[in-house]
Amino acid sequence: MATAVLAPRQSLQWRRLGRLLAGNPGSVRRPVAFLVVAVIASTIASSSFLTLGNLKSLLTSSSFLIVLACGEAFVILMGMIDLGVESMLSCAGMFAAWLLVFEGFPGWLSFLCATVFGALVGSLVGLFVTRARVPSFVVTLGTYWGLLGIALLFNGGNYIAPSEGTHVIFTFGGIAGNSFGVSNLVFMMLGVVVAAQLVLSYSPVGLWVRAVGSNEQAGKAVGLPTRNLKVTAFVISGSLAALAGVMIAAWQASIYPTSGSGMSLQAIAGVILGGIPFTGGRGSVVGAAIGALVIGIINDVIVLVGLSSNYEYIFVAAVLILAGLQARGGEFVK
Amino acid sequence: MSDNARTTKTVVPSSGGAAHVGMAEDRAPVGNEGGDDHRLPLLSVQGVSKHFGPVTAVDKVHLDIYPQEVVGLIGDNGAGKSTFLSLLTGYNRADEGTFLYKGSPVSITSPRESRNKLRIEMIYQQLQLARDLTVWENLFLGEELRLWGVALDRRAMRKRAGEVLERLHSKVRPNDLLGTLSGGEQQVVAIGRAILFERDIILMDEPTAAISAAKVEDLLQLVRDLKALGKTVILVSHRLEDILAVADRVAVLVLGRLHCVVPNKGLSVASLVHLMFGGGAEVAGGMDLLAAASWQARHAEKPQ
Repeated sequence: MATAVLAPRQSLQWRRLGRLLAGNPGSVRRPVAFLVVAVIASTIASSSFLTLGNLKSLLTSSSFLIVLACGEAFVILMGMIDLGVESMLSCAGMFAAWLLVFEGFPGWLSFLCATVFGALVGSLVGLFVTRARVPSFVVTLGTYWGLLGIALLFNGGNYIAPSEGTHVIFTFGGIAGNSFGVSNLVFMMLGVVVAAQLVLSYSPVGLWVRAVGSNEQAGKAVGLPTRNLKVTAFVISGSLAALAGVMIAAWQASIYPTSGSGMSLQAIAGVILGGIPFTGGRGSVVGAAIGALVIGIINDVIVLVGLSSNYEYIFVAAVLILAGLQARGGEFVK
Repeated sequence: MSDNARTTKTVVPSSGGAAHVGMAEDRAPVGNEGGDDHRLPLLSVQGVSKHFGPVTAVDKVHLDIYPQEVVGLIGDNGAGKSTFLSLLTGYNRADEGTFLYKGSPVSITSPRESRNKLRIEMIYQQLQLARDLTVWENLFLGEELRLWGVALDRRAMRKRAGEVLERLHSKVRPNDLLGTLSGGEQQVVAIGRAILFERDIILMDEPTAAISAAKVEDLLQLVRDLKALGKTVILVSHRLEDILAVADRVAVLVLGRLHCVVPNKGLSVASLVHLMFGGGAEVAGGMDLLAAASWQARHAEKPQ
């Protein structure tokens, strides 16, 4: 009898201890905890993990996924999903490269056109979701296939790379270069994360995004423009995916129509790992970025220990399921 | 005089506590019955109707609402209470009729207009709050204080939220996540919006439905506090004893029409139930106890 009386209290104490360590659902403490575990495990698995060279390489190669995850975070925060970011990445990258190589556009203009293209496609997706009331899963599954098809058309299904004779290089205004010994792509990624987090935490739009994700009716009750906010989330996601496409083209000095293959699900996994539940409403961009970085660490360690890259999917799947467990609709505890 | 005026009744309490219902054909405008108030109404609803296809949800309702009073709005399911409130909040637009705010005609076309122009705040049965946001974020949602017009003035909002919660004698803190609060505490947050933005009229739709029985008296005290702060409250509740505990006047809707408006003097649950079903004859004490008990049993809230 005594046990039965004490059990709920003990359970609450454990939950409070858990919350103290990992924070309430959506807290950035959770992805940080995942990151710490990933770093410790990676250091044990490979002595070369914690070297400066590897860390720089890790941050550079993870920057595309982190940028994708930042955009995806806005969409998932509102209780929707964007499955098309990887196709947007490859399509926008192909578009920028096509403008630069075949049409002779200056690098900065190609960069700008690709990003605007991403924003336009994002706004179309948002309009289909809000005005035509087609679920975001269906619309973005459409953009996943449609944009991949367009990417394949740019060069007849082939990749685009600067030809030796043209002296055209994929700098896009020098974004592929280094500053202070670190790739500019890392600084761009950090800029995106900081800007997106500032919008989310310190602007009315950020507050509204979280409010609509938490309770759309509450948003409507106080007169928030819920439809426009959803469109905005897809515009952010589309333009950041396009930016990631240009970044990856600059980094590889070439771009394939299938360059982003698998990155949509990795970005979504990063967001969930970062503490944003599928139902939306809570979490942070910083958390999503850390979640994406953890996935980048898994990819990195697999290479470092000499495992086949085929194992990457199994590890990411395991981490995603763990992330899903912590991101499920847990109750808040004071 | 309108059709509605001819059918509206007034209740005069008797010395013995039973209430007598009489016709109010000689009274105009309809809806002022029960109040000998000659003040200018804060909000005057004049012949307002709302149709949904062939269904008339609100039918030529006249009702004057005065400053600093609590009006209980009662009626059986489908009587038009929620639709009537939705017309005041701008969620639905009236098909006919007019609204006068402090004597001047106004239109109510959107929730934003209702809140900002008429200073009406609605507190829903299912509280329209975001459980993942903090208390201060919920309080200011949609009407945030800003720095340089673009950034949230978080510090100022937290400070003002704390002041409002203090005025409501609440232990809730501005930084608390809404999801960590009890139903009663969440009610305080919802009411806090009305205080924060100096709303004049607060509409409460079944406010006691979502809270435990033990917290009902706290909420009713909040309603009294709101009145003391100079607010007007329109309270919709199936718990007639709550209406009797705080209302100054009781407006009764029957099938979309305003059946009567009565002062809350000498009324009982039985007499209210009698009125809700269109009763117009003399209500003797205990005469409708069986009907009242039956009705209350149907609408009893489950204990939390």
